[in-house]
Amino acid sequence: MSDHVDGPRSIGDPAADISDLFAFTSPENSARTVLAVCAFPSAGEDAMFSNVVDYAIAVRRVTVAGVGDAARFQPADDEIRFSFRFQALQRDAAGKVHQRGVGTLPGGRQLRLTVNDEHGASTADGDFRVYAGLRSDPFYLAWIASSLEKVPNLLQHDNVLCIVVEFDTRRVLDPEKGSLFGVIAETVPVPQPPGRIGHPPVRIDWIGRPEQTNVRLNNPGLSGVDDIRDLWNQQTPFAISTVLQPLFLQRLKDSFTDWDLRDGKADWTPEALAANANVFLDDFMLFDVAKPITDESYLEIEKSTIDGHPYRTGGGRTIDANVIDILFTWLVNHDREFLQGGATGATKPGLTRFPYLATPNSELQTVTHAVVLDADPGEVWSAIGSFDLSWHPRVARVRLTGTGLGQLRTMETIDGRTIVERLEAIDDQKRSMRYTSIAGMAASHYTGTLDVKPKGRGSVAEWRVQYLANGQPDIAVKTIVSALQKTGLDSLTARFGVPA
Amino acid sequence: MSAIADLDDRCPAATDGEIAVINLESARRRAWERFRGNPSIAGVAEAVVDLERLATQFLGDLDALDRLEAFAAQFACLDDSFRVPLVQAEVASAVHRFADARDHLARAAEMGGPRDAIERHTLAIDQACGVNLGAVLAARRRLAMVDGRLEDLIPLGALLADLERVAEADAVYGQAFYSYDGISPFPLAWVCFQLGMLWGELAPEPDPNQAALWYQRAIAYLPAYVKARVHLAEIYAVQQRLGDAEALLRPALSSGDPEADWRLADVLIAQGRFQEAEGQLDAARRGFNNLLGRHRLAFADHAAEFYAGSGGDCRRALELARANVANRPTRRAINQAEAIAGRCR
Repeated sequence: MSDHVDGPRSIGDPAADISDLFAFTSPENSARTVLAVCAFPSAGEDAMFSNVVDYAIAVRRVTVAGVGDAARFQPADDEIRFSFRFQALQRDAAGKVHQRGVGTLPGGRQLRLTVNDEHGASTADGDFRVYAGLRSDPFYLAWIASSLEKVPNLLQHDNVLCIVVEFDTRRVLDPEKGSLFGVIAETVPVPQPPGRIGHPPVRIDWIGRPEQTNVRLNNPGLSGVDDIRDLWNQQTPFAISTVLQPLFLQRLKDSFTDWDLRDGKADWTPEALAANANVFLDDFMLFDVAKPITDESYLEIEKSTIDGHPYRTGGGRTIDANVIDILFTWLVNHDREFLQGGATGATKPGLTRFPYLATPNSELQTVTHAVVLDADPGEVWSAIGSFDLSWHPRVARVRLTGTGLGQLRTMETIDGRTIVERLEAIDDQKRSMRYTSIAGMAASHYTGTLDVKPKGRGSVAEWRVQYLANGQPDIAVKTIVSALQKTGLDSLTARFGVPA
Repeated sequence: MSAIADLDDRCPAATDGEIAVINLESARRRAWERFRGNPSIAGVAEAVVDLERLATQFLGDLDALDRLEAFAAQFACLDDSFRVPLVQAEVASAVHRFADARDHLARAAEMGGPRDAIERHTLAIDQACGVNLGAVLAARRRLAMVDGRLEDLIPLGALLADLERVAEADAVYGQAFYSYDGISPFPLAWVCFQLGMLWGELAPEPDPNQAALWYQRAIAYLPAYVKARVHLAEIYAVQQRLGDAEALLRPALSSGDPEADWRLADVLIAQGRFQEAEGQLDAARRGFNNLLGRHRLAFADHAAEFYAGSGGDCRRALELARANVANRPTRRAINQAEAIAGRCR
C-alpha cells in the first residue's frame, strides 16, 4: 500500500509512518506548486503528530543523465527543504486538546502552525502556505497484491495525517535553471544531546515514488526473501549506501521479473528490466514544473525515458492520480493493457481549493433494522425493554454496573467481543431507550436507539445505530453493528412470529 | 517536590506519552481491522497480539487479555498454518498458562514453524518459570550480543536481576536505555520500570530513592503507565508521602486494575480515611475475584499478596501463592509462598 505500514520500526510509532507523497501544480493558481506528505495510516480522529520527529520534504533539481536501457536521473547536491516539528498536546480552558507546530521553510524562515486549522498558515508575503492535520486518505488500493485479485478499496473511509505546502514556483524553485525536480519526504527523530552510550538518530521512514517498499522491494509474490524495508527506510534519500546498493538493486530486478510474469507473459527484455531497477533504485518522485501535471501523468517521465523518448508531461502526482494501477500496468504488461483495480477513486476525491486533500471522513453512519411482530407493543417491550440485553442470542454474558440513567452494561458476545454501553435515556411509556458506546466498538459518537411502536394489530421493533468510524474502515464497523441488530431482531421474529 | 519528575537531559527523547497512547489505540484498532479484512496475511494476526499486549502492559487494560483469548480462538477457525499455534502460545503466555504455551509451541514445531521464533518463545517461558536458568542465561547473552536490541537486552537484564546479579543487570538495562534509537516511549518506559523494580524490590539491599527515580522516569515517558504508578506509590507510602501516593493512584483507577484500588485503600487507611478505604478495598476484592475467575494463573501472585495483606483472606492467599509456585517455580514465587505461609501460620 503506497508507503503505508512499511516496516516494523515505523509500525512502532505510526505517527512517523509515512504513507504518501504528492507533487502537483496548484489547481487554484498555476504559478504555484503543491507538495504534500501524509503519515499515520488509518489514523483515528484524535491522531496527532509525534512531537520528537522532523517531518521533512526535500526537493533537488534533476537532469536526465541517460535514456533507454541506460536511463538515469541525476539529482543536484543542493536541496530545497521544508521541515516541520510539532509540540506536545495543549489544552484550552474548555479542556479541548490542541497541537501546534512550526514549519522551517527554504531560506530558514519559520511559520507557526495549528494542527487541523483548515485555513492553514501563510507567510506575510504569501509565498508559502502550509496546512497540517487530519484528512481523508487520498490513496486507494483495490487489489490483493500477491494474487492480483480485484477487491474494493482497502482504505475506504480511512484518514491520515497530512502536511500540505503550497508555494510560488518561480521564486522558490527558480525553474529557469532547470524545471525537472526530484522530491522525497522523510521522518527523522529530532537530534538529541549525546547519551552515555548513544547512537546518532536514525531515519524512521521516507518516501520517493509510492510503493518502493511495499510493492517493489517487498513484492508479496517473492517467497522466502528477507523483509528489507526497514533497512531501506534508514537509507539517506538521494544517497543510498553504495555498500547496500547491490542488495537493493538485485531485489528490484527479482521483483520486476516477478511482476512482469504475473499475467503469464514476458513483456520486458532483461535489459529493460535492469533499466527499470536502476531508475527505481534512485528513489525520488520526478516532477517538471514547466509541463502539465495531470491525474494521468504520474511516472510518465520515468516511463518515457526508459522507453527512449523525451518525456511529455510534468509527471508528479496529483491527489486523484491512480498510482497503483499505473504502476501495476507498467510493471506487469509494459502499458500494453491498463490494469484497473476494484476501485476507481479514493473515499473522497481531492479538492480544487487549499489544502486540496479532502476533509476527514467524519460523517455519522447510520445502520437501521426493523421487524414487524405479531404481538402487541407492551408484550414486546416487556421482553426487550430491559437494558441488560439478555434476550439477545449473540450476548453470552452481561454485567451491569450502577442503576438508572448512566447505568453501564458490559457485554461479552459469543464471538468474544466485549462491548461496554451506557444507558442515556429510557421511556417505558413510549417504549424507547437510547444508549451510547463506551468501549468495544471502533467508533466514536456512537448512539443506539431501540424502540417498539404499534403497527396494525402487532408492533414494529426498530433498532438504529449512528456512529463515526474511528480507526477502522466504516465497512468493518457497519458489518459488526448490522450483524448484532439483525441477529437480535430475527430472534424476536422467531419468538413472537410475523403477522399473517 | 512533585510526585512525577520531568525527564532530565540524559534521557533519550521520545514521543510524548499522551500522543503515544492515543496513537497506540489507533494502531491497535487498525490491526484488528486488517485481521478482519484478511487474517491470512502474514503479520496481521501477530500485530493484533503485539498491540493488545502493549495495551495490557502499559495501560493496565486487563480486558485486553479477554480480547486476546477470543482472538486466538477466532484465528484458529480461520487459519490452519503454524501461525495459529504460535499465536496461541503468545496468548497462553500472556495469561501465564505456560504449560499450554509449551504444547502450542510443540505443535508449531511439528507444523514446520520457524525455529528461531519457537526457540525465543521457549526461552521466555523457561525464564518466566525459572527453569534451565543456566542455559537461558547463556542464550540471552548470545542474543543480546548479536545486535544489542532493546527487546533482547531487557530480558537479559530481567534474568540477571532475578539471579540477584544487580550490578550486571543495572549495566544491561543502562545499555538498553541509552542506546535506544527509536522514538516510541513504550520501550523506554519499560526499561525504566525494570530499573525501578531492580532497585526497589529485587536488589538484596534495595535503594528506594533510586527505584523512585526510575519509576518517575517511566511515568514521565508514559503518564498512563499503571504499574509504574502503583509501584512508585508504594515507595511514597512507605516514605509517608501519602498525598503524593494518592495523587499517583487516583488517575490509575480508571484502568480497572484492582491493584490500584488496593494500594489506594492502603494509602487511605494510613491517612485514617477508613470509610473511603473500605470502598476501595471492595473494588479491589471485586476486581481480583473477577480477574481470578477469568485468568487465575496470570494474577495468582498479585492476588496472593492482596489477600495476605489488606484483602484479609490468608487461606486464599496461600492457595494462590501455591498455585503460582506450581505454575512457575521461580525463586520469587517460592519466597512469596513461604512468606505468606509464615504470615498466615
